[in-house]
Amino acid sequence: MSHFSLGLAKWSVTIKTSWSNLLTYRLNFFLQVIGPSLVFFFIKYNLWWAIYNSHQGDTIKGMTFSQMMNYHVWALITSLIFRGYNSNSLAEDIRLGKISTYMIYPFNFWEHQTCQFLAFSSLQIFVSSVTFFILFAAGIVIFPTFSGVILGLSFSLLAGFLWFVIQYVCGLMAFWLEETWMIRVMTELVVNFLSGNIFPLELYPAKLTVFLKYTPFPYLAYYPIKMFLGQNDEIILPLIILLIWIGLFSLFASRLWKKGVCNYTGAGM
Amino acid sequence: MIETHELSKSFQSYKKAPGFSGAVKSLFHRQMIEKKAVKNFNLSINKGEIVGLLGPNGAGKTTLMKMFTGIIVPSSGKVKVLGHHPYDRSKEFRKKIALVMGQKSQLWWDIPAMDSFYLLQKYYEVEDGAFHDRIDELSTLLDVKDLLHIQVRRLSLGERMKLELMASLVHQPEVIFLDEPTIGLDVMAQENIRQFILNYHKRHGTTMVITSHYMADVEALCQRLVVVFSGEKFFDGNISDFSKIMGHQKVLSFQFKEALNPTDPFFEKLDVRWSLGNKKLDIRIPEAEMPALASVLLNKYPVEDFASEKMPIERVMQLLMEKHSNQGGKRI
Repeated sequence: MSHFSLGLAKWSVTIKTSWSNLLTYRLNFFLQVIGPSLVFFFIKYNLWWAIYNSHQGDTIKGMTFSQMMNYHVWALITSLIFRGYNSNSLAEDIRLGKISTYMIYPFNFWEHQTCQFLAFSSLQIFVSSVTFFILFAAGIVIFPTFSGVILGLSFSLLAGFLWFVIQYVCGLMAFWLEETWMIRVMTELVVNFLSGNIFPLELYPAKLTVFLKYTPFPYLAYYPIKMFLGQNDEIILPLIILLIWIGLFSLFASRLWKKGVCNYTGAGM
Repeated sequence: MIETHELSKSFQSYKKAPGFSGAVKSLFHRQMIEKKAVKNFNLSINKGEIVGLLGPNGAGKTTLMKMFTGIIVPSSGKVKVLGHHPYDRSKEFRKKIALVMGQKSQLWWDIPAMDSFYLLQKYYEVEDGAFHDRIDELSTLLDVKDLLHIQVRRLSLGERMKLELMASLVHQPEVIFLDEPTIGLDVMAQENIRQFILNYHKRHGTTMVITSHYMADVEALCQRLVVVFSGEKFFDGNISDFSKIMGHQKVLSFQFKEALNPTDPFFEKLDVRWSLGNKKLDIRIPEAEMPALASVLLNKYPVEDFASEKMPIERVMQLLMEKHSNQGGKRI
């Protein structure tokens, strides 16, 4: 067997085992995936309903209430596709010394984590597809164009990788910090505000919108949503910026791991 | 096979005063403490040996194991296992070793053990035929054929430990590190695990390094003993030599018909240990003086039963630990 096919077999068996593990407690999994996104969607629905009701005129920055809701339905679907993963278990594994086992296996820890992420994400794509078809059947969302689906999915999957690497970096902080939940909560809050998940970026001052374009934030909601909505007048530049951020965070994660491992004490063994 | 030269490891932590005021003070000033867990450790282990690392809690045994397996990076000195620097964590090195942790599970908790074995088969690149042969051999030896398809979380501790051992042997490692493999198990389960380790060693001649709190493990499994105190090597040799370390001494045990007075001047100069409400007495005594003392005791006191035995390794260890702590942790 070639080196490549041996590597592929390791990845595929880890993904399969992760699926078995995730689906052992199916209700838990679905609640974990759907719960937070759905609750967040209803909060946003009520927030925007109140804003539009107290606002004079039918539009805000050129968007009607139904356009705003259409935007947020896609925010719900994209967050279902790639925002469910979190580094909670990773940080706990480091803190409690559970990663000792993975340091012995001839399969790197980052590979193991990436497989877990891929297993989780593939199940999430299934959940988000079902959610989309329910919303479509209910007439809440319109079917995107073919190019919208392709571009939207591509951006969402890449954004998923970016989100995973950011979460991985947050998790690796457990090498230095007792608790990392506050870093994760702060990251979630900042990302929600600056990614366009709560307010479409058109509502922000123009200078801030231009600045944000070069940060990782809008690629975690705004651009994937816009791609699904068919508003794709800019594709190449956002794609390049997104790829650069994935590369930079991956490099940072790799450095962090190398430094962190030197601090690791393998507690509890 | 395993070589260390002046190997040392220090851990740093912060000292915090107790209570709320301590917590507030620690926000502004924290005193750093450095603990030397392993100090200038020299060791050489040959192929096929079973070596027991023995020592009290916090002696540095597990820290040594972590350095041997590459889990932690040494602070100074050298360590080589199978020609590799473990802390480089090369895949080649990782394919040759296995670690069994009595207090940590490497099996996935929510799925059957067999699924974890398939995962390990791919990780260690074991051919299908060899994998199934090994699973068959190991599950027969450990008598766990019926447990392979049951969710790991539903198994007892003893059953789980057997499967942990199986998981570590799927790739037939050249060196196995066993960190307290029988901890928490009942006597029967401990005996089963020991028998399995011995049988496996007989069949495959694998090099094994074992840490344990149970002297019975060490006595049953190890040909060679390395005793560690406060991160330093205190003894390195075979077990029979270790039991002679306190001199050629024996333990005489007497059971009396009635309780005796422990303040009796006869016992003053002897190394005695009373139990069962002063009805049982253990005396540590040089081998040469044993017949005379036994005869006096048999004539003078209402002896119901008595026995003599060579110093058990457990007792030697206990005496060494007492001596060590009386000397403020200095080398004995």
